[in-house]
Amino acid sequence: MNKHLIGAAIAAALSLSLAAQDTVFVKGGKVVTVSGPVIENGVVAIANGRITKVGPADQVEVPWDAQVIDATGKVVMPTWVLAHSQGSLRSANENMQNVPYVSVADAIDPSSTFFEDCLRNGVGTIHILPGNATLLGGIGMIVRPAGRTVEDMAVRTRTGLKLSLQAQGGARLQQVRRMRRALEEIREYLADFDRRKAEFDKEKAAGAIPADKQWTEEYDRLKKPGIDLVQKKLKGWMYVPSSAEVDEALRLAEELELAIVVGQDVEKAASKLARFKAPVVLDENLEYWTRDEETEAERKVCTAKVLADAGVGFALSLGAGGPTSYPWWQLATCVRNGVDRKVAIESLTTVPAQMLGIGDDVGSISEGKFGNLQILSGDPLAATTWVETVLLEGKVAYERSKDQRLQYLLKAPEPAPAKPANTGNGGD
Amino acid sequence: MKAHTIACVLALAAAVAAQDEIHAYKAARIWPAGGSPVEQGVLVVVGGKVAAIGGADTAIPEGAKVHDLGSAVITPGLVDASWQRTGSPEDRNEQSSEVTPHMRAIDAWDPLDPQVVRARKGGVTTLHHTPGNRAVIGGLGVVVKTTPASAPTTLLKDDVSLRITMGAEPSMGNRAIRGGSVDSIYYRRPTTRMGVVWEVRRAFSKAQDYQQRTIAEGSPADPAMEVLVRALQGKVTVITTARAEQDIRTALRLADEFGYKTAIDEGVESHVMAEELAAAGATVMVGAPSADRVSGAGGSDGAEPRWSTLSRLATAGVPFVVTTGGNAAALPLAQEAMFAVRFGLTPELALDAVTLRPARLLGVDDRVGSLAPGKDADFVIWSTDPFDPTAVATAVHVNGTRIQD
Amino acid sequence: MSIPMTSSFRILAAALAAALIASQASAQDVLVRAAKLVVSPDLVLENGELLVRSGKVAYVGSEIPAEARQRATKREWPTATIAPGAVVAFGWLGQEEALGERATAFTPELRAADGFDGTTEAVRKLPAEGVTAYGLAPSSRNVVAGIGALVKPAGEFARIPADDLFLHLSVVKQARDQERWPTSIMGAADLLRTTFKAAANPVSGDTRLRPFREAMQGQRQVFVHANTLNELTVALDACTQAGIAPVVVGAGDAAKCIDQLKAARARVVLGTASPDAKVAQLELPAKLEAAGIPFAIAGEPSTLRWSAALAVRHGATRRTALSALTRVPAEMLGMQDRIGSLRAGCDADFAVWSGDPVELTSELLAVYVDGEERHVKDAAQAAKEKN
Repeated sequence: MNKHLIGAAIAAALSLSLAAQDTVFVKGGKVVTVSGPVIENGVVAIANGRITKVGPADQVEVPWDAQVIDATGKVVMPTWVLAHSQGSLRSANENMQNVPYVSVADAIDPSSTFFEDCLRNGVGTIHILPGNATLLGGIGMIVRPAGRTVEDMAVRTRTGLKLSLQAQGGARLQQVRRMRRALEEIREYLADFDRRKAEFDKEKAAGAIPADKQWTEEYDRLKKPGIDLVQKKLKGWMYVPSSAEVDEALRLAEELELAIVVGQDVEKAASKLARFKAPVVLDENLEYWTRDEETEAERKVCTAKVLADAGVGFALSLGAGGPTSYPWWQLATCVRNGVDRKVAIESLTTVPAQMLGIGDDVGSISEGKFGNLQILSGDPLAATTWVETVLLEGKVAYERSKDQRLQYLLKAPEPAPAKPANTGNGGD
Repeated sequence: MKAHTIACVLALAAAVAAQDEIHAYKAARIWPAGGSPVEQGVLVVVGGKVAAIGGADTAIPEGAKVHDLGSAVITPGLVDASWQRTGSPEDRNEQSSEVTPHMRAIDAWDPLDPQVVRARKGGVTTLHHTPGNRAVIGGLGVVVKTTPASAPTTLLKDDVSLRITMGAEPSMGNRAIRGGSVDSIYYRRPTTRMGVVWEVRRAFSKAQDYQQRTIAEGSPADPAMEVLVRALQGKVTVITTARAEQDIRTALRLADEFGYKTAIDEGVESHVMAEELAAAGATVMVGAPSADRVSGAGGSDGAEPRWSTLSRLATAGVPFVVTTGGNAAALPLAQEAMFAVRFGLTPELALDAVTLRPARLLGVDDRVGSLAPGKDADFVIWSTDPFDPTAVATAVHVNGTRIQD
Repeated sequence: MSIPMTSSFRILAAALAAALIASQASAQDVLVRAAKLVVSPDLVLENGELLVRSGKVAYVGSEIPAEARQRATKREWPTATIAPGAVVAFGWLGQEEALGERATAFTPELRAADGFDGTTEAVRKLPAEGVTAYGLAPSSRNVVAGIGALVKPAGEFARIPADDLFLHLSVVKQARDQERWPTSIMGAADLLRTTFKAAANPVSGDTRLRPFREAMQGQRQVFVHANTLNELTVALDACTQAGIAPVVVGAGDAAKCIDQLKAARARVVLGTASPDAKVAQLELPAKLEAAGIPFAIAGEPSTLRWSAALAVRHGATRRTALSALTRVPAEMLGMQDRIGSLRAGCDADFAVWSGDPVELTSELLAVYVDGEERHVKDAAQAAKEKN
């Protein structure tokens, strides 16, 4: 009995010390939890990849031997969540239009600079899906931007089927018709399958089939994702390029479980989108100018503001390059155009987390969620702020001081050695 | 008695009229440019000009209309020293010859161009509108104000600059049309960098000859040569577009050879040769620091952009300005200045780079570029500090008048 | 067998001869009468009459001599309105290609009259649209395009009463050819300014500059084709500097620079108006009228009345709209003594309308050019329409 007790005690002690090594405390910073209040001098405790405690410094005890990350004078936030991205895909769109069976897992390149940029910009969770140029594009997955293989990076697989109403070398209406046709074909296949199975069962019951022949047919593997979509077992992520296709998207949303990604021309359909009763994903063009045909006067439109005014929730996307690829710029664009700062921040944190069904794991700093934190040098929406450190599930995944590419870009090169004076004319 | 009454009425009318002309603006901060910002600043405008600028204790003339702007921030109207967004590429580039120094950008100007309106809404009140980069020597630029649509264009300074372009861009499209006739205007030198430089040399050599000849013989005026002579005499600001290091070097060499001073437009790789640029006193016009891609009709010329360019130039003492330049992806000028701050410039320097410095480069700093007594009252009221990405220009004033858009 | 020359025979012969001469004289005169006679938009005669002789309007109204009135052939339209035939100030009658030389932008000596094919259907159909005179221009593909002419429909072949009229310049997009100088509007502006400057220089021996000198001395009208604000500014600046008050053709963006047009003493030739055009375009005629800028309506001959009716609908007065089709274009071409009105001495070019000429519900009953009937509403067609 004693032996067991001692053994248990040793085991407990061992596990404690192991736990101490898996535990991280981020202290001293201004903690913006997103889901709760801002904590001026806060401590976030992470163990085994998940947040165990969040609170003011005087309320959270930090063990003397704990691994501590000092965030004094900095801002601590959850890492950003991207609900829809084609980042790192070598080729985002298949040539064939109807390919629900392909998966981004086969196309993600873990060495892509996209993931490097994600860490640099504080993005911790990305939902990667095929592009907008395929009718039924393929299966998506949620990844973290760190890992050597796709398996290492996976957070959730088979998260959804990408659909697109973007016209492919034809009229808009054609793409809508193609989509309907594709879904009808799946339903026809299902109906046919069920009919054959029923027939088999009937004939078997009537004793016509020899006992050793069983109905072993399964759904065609290539059609399975489409079938899951139609049977509402798989979420569809549908790209709706303009306001003209919104009606069709809403109609399809009644038959399928859909998340909508909208293109730029969403302004005219904002009130319709409110009927969708779920947030939508905005594409990276948040600000654009429209021209009145009569008066030739221009007007600036911010898609986020239009949706916010119509009471439609939204998640933001990032562009492939330039200012729209920076989260802080996208957020600032929303605020600059009148979107509430809180709503803007939620559009890159809690809203996409909910849409992805991982709201219990990411999107805010609260107990139980992943220890996905970014430590910023200042206000997340300020132009002078840089991401200093990124933790993914409690592990340091990025440190600015070690970011070679950033140093290459920001640090001035050594001046070239002085060249001898040019004595004559003539080409160099 | 009657005369006295009339005089009173007239005096009253005059006083009322004058009253409309005197405004005082109180803001949480005023950046006058050319120095530190003033907290709780007061800007006094009389008759469309800056009368006084200072702290909270600045004297406000009697009869002034006082605007209390609360937490707003005031800056001078911004100056974009390399505006290439008005006029189609065909209209800003005369393709029939490589050397067209007498072409004038003012002839390809549309004051109601939506791009101009957008720039104005973003706080830009002065533009340097220039010919494009498709010719080796493209022509003369002009400095205009982004005045209200109803008023005629305010020309600040005509024929202010001469554009020269290095690199691959001017030689693009020059070749014999396959299977077509060889009398096309595109079948000609230059098709390479060597040819581009040769054109510049030939043009300026001829100009030097012309200069001698006209002094001697009184021969008739050649408009192209006249412009080149003025460039040699330093009467127009020469601006050479050069992105890659070799092109910048060539630009400086040519300037040295013919004895003119040049500014460098784009200057993507200028950070590599900052000391040489400082020695030559060449102003670098950095275009669109926010862009991740170098832009130009001929491609990037192999130039590699860095975020450190501006701070490197600042450290080495190279004069510079920030512009939108020829990059289609450029943000509004205020936000380009904001990116300059992100990449290491102080806010004071970044603001100067889009106000006083470009005004100085273009020789219009007697009128615009900073808020100082006697200068035009061109200023912008911002919702918050203009280097905050959430800042919006809530009002733009040109010559003291608020522009309603 | 010889005829005996008795005195009675001589008297009979003389009487016969006199009757013959008298009948010939009266066969040439035509007395035209209608319920309304629009001599010019500001002179309308109720139950007006005019006398046509040898293709001209010889007398109007009370001035018609009784004797001529008696002897003349009568043509009467008791319920109709007669108005001057429409004058199109500027166009190419569908022949722009033939009327331009592409190799160079500088062709001041090129004459539209030389390149014109007068046998085309487009010309023959002019009277059917109420058009009796047409200002033919060289192609706008050249910056210095050449010299315009006056064309009149005359049955099988058109007539060219005047072949040395206006000097045509152009800075519109088609003048900026990417294959030859100038490719840009900067180049076009430079070409205009340089040419005017050279013309002003008395030493220059270039005879091609003669039309420019005449223009600068007020002896020749200048037409300049410009549409966008940029083009208009360039055109007006160049003309103003040379002391020329131009006729601006096209002027699409005129609403944006009314003051500049006024200051340049410019007149405007508008093209076909379309009901789908922007409101700013449709209201342009009214704006020009309000600013006191004379304008003519040109474009496709079949659309002239639409354009006029649309102008009226959007604020222009009927008188101005009719003037835009008659008096103003005639003045622009410098031919107001011959066309554009029905005063004594003018060509007998008139159109007979069932109602107000600017009203779209009016039908064109007949058209006379130089006193000859060139169009008449087909009686059979009229009967068919009635049924």
